[in-house]
Amino acid sequence: MQHLDPDRLVLLALSEAAEELTDSDHLAQCADCRHEMQALRHVAGVGSETQDLQALPPPPERVWEAIESGIAATRRPAAPVAHIAERRALPRRTRSRWLTPLVAAAAAAVLAVAGTVAVDRFADRTPAEEVTAQATLSPLKAVPPNAGGDVQVLADGQLRIDVRNLPLTTGFHEVWLLDPDDPTRMVAIGNLPDAPEAVLPVPPGTDLKRYRLVDISDEPHDGDATHSGQSLLRGTLTS
Amino acid sequence: MSSDDELAERLRAGDEAALRIAYDRHGAAVLYLAQRLLNNRADAEDVTQVTFVAAWTGRDGFDPDRGTMLSWLLGIARRKAVDRLRAATREQRAAQTVQAQPVTPEADETPERIVDRLVVADELGRLPAEQRRTLELAFFDDLTHPQIATVTGLPLGTVKSHIRRGMHNLRRRWEVDGATLGSRSTGPTRAL
Repeated sequence: MQHLDPDRLVLLALSEAAEELTDSDHLAQCADCRHEMQALRHVAGVGSETQDLQALPPPPERVWEAIESGIAATRRPAAPVAHIAERRALPRRTRSRWLTPLVAAAAAAVLAVAGTVAVDRFADRTPAEEVTAQATLSPLKAVPPNAGGDVQVLADGQLRIDVRNLPLTTGFHEVWLLDPDDPTRMVAIGNLPDAPEAVLPVPPGTDLKRYRLVDISDEPHDGDATHSGQSLLRGTLTS
Repeated sequence: MSSDDELAERLRAGDEAALRIAYDRHGAAVLYLAQRLLNNRADAEDVTQVTFVAAWTGRDGFDPDRGTMLSWLLGIARRKAVDRLRAATREQRAAQTVQAQPVTPEADETPERIVDRLVVADELGRLPAEQRRTLELAFFDDLTHPQIATVTGLPLGTVKSHIRRGMHNLRRRWEVDGATLGSRSTGPTRAL
């Protein structure tokens, strides 16, 4: 079957040419051309409505200022472990002021790493436990590259978390399940004990297909139950 | 001009300047979408702010292979705007005020259509100048190919190929990024 000429399809989609009997006959029989035609018509229709969108006025500067302070608010002041001397030791890069606490925290993290331990986590595990999903946790940028972990979702709905070389914290490490499509949506799972392995219950009814991004964060003791914005490890659950 | 790939990499590395670039490029489209959905300037600016803060905190979630930066941002903005509408509805119920619902948007003013328009407008702006010019004359001035040839002084064959290629580019972008039938959530992009 001879398909309609691409130029012809475009002409028809732009309503520049009238559909002739031969065109309609073919379109009635050929799903490919029909689909192509619908797509082109839609795009032509949408395209003709874009005249006012070519040069949209930029938002007022106050919006950007609000974004900057919103970002600053997602961070916490650096832990007191980051001393001036340590900050000075850092390579200087052009960063805006609000990033400085993060850099200091990263420095503290690097210095603290030596104190962490790696243990054979799976030594006394019963092999019969059924794992329904798992994730490998990788360190985020500001975190030492040897930090990491594994997460397993057990058939009984518990989360087994196993981390290594996490930077020391003056607060605590908390486990979250995030929606990667909208990372502001998350479920708090619990905090990690000072042990290489933890088993924490997932709230019943949690949709693990949606909340599939495991996130380990560094939380200060500030009484604020929301995520500190200081993520250390992340990994996506797969079954 | 850095590509979405470069922007994504810089964002992931925690480079605030990359967020500013994304904002300079797409902030106006985000604000426009929010304003169309919420019908309120102040709320729309709030949603724009919330969108870019969420983009920053969720920057690891941007995958240039799944769509452009613009469509990622518009997707966040749309969810934020819908959240706000829902919250407003809840507040209204809580206050027990019986009020007429906001005017139902016209059929061609669905969020999907607005997103489609922003995506196609963005792609139109990226086309080579002559391709864009010929398409604009066809879209906005409703000129035929021969009329476009006369207006632009280009040979008819050139006009035809500009329009065919331009339509093809718009259509491909819409399939990757568009909201209506763009198949990001329903499966792989259909074959051309």
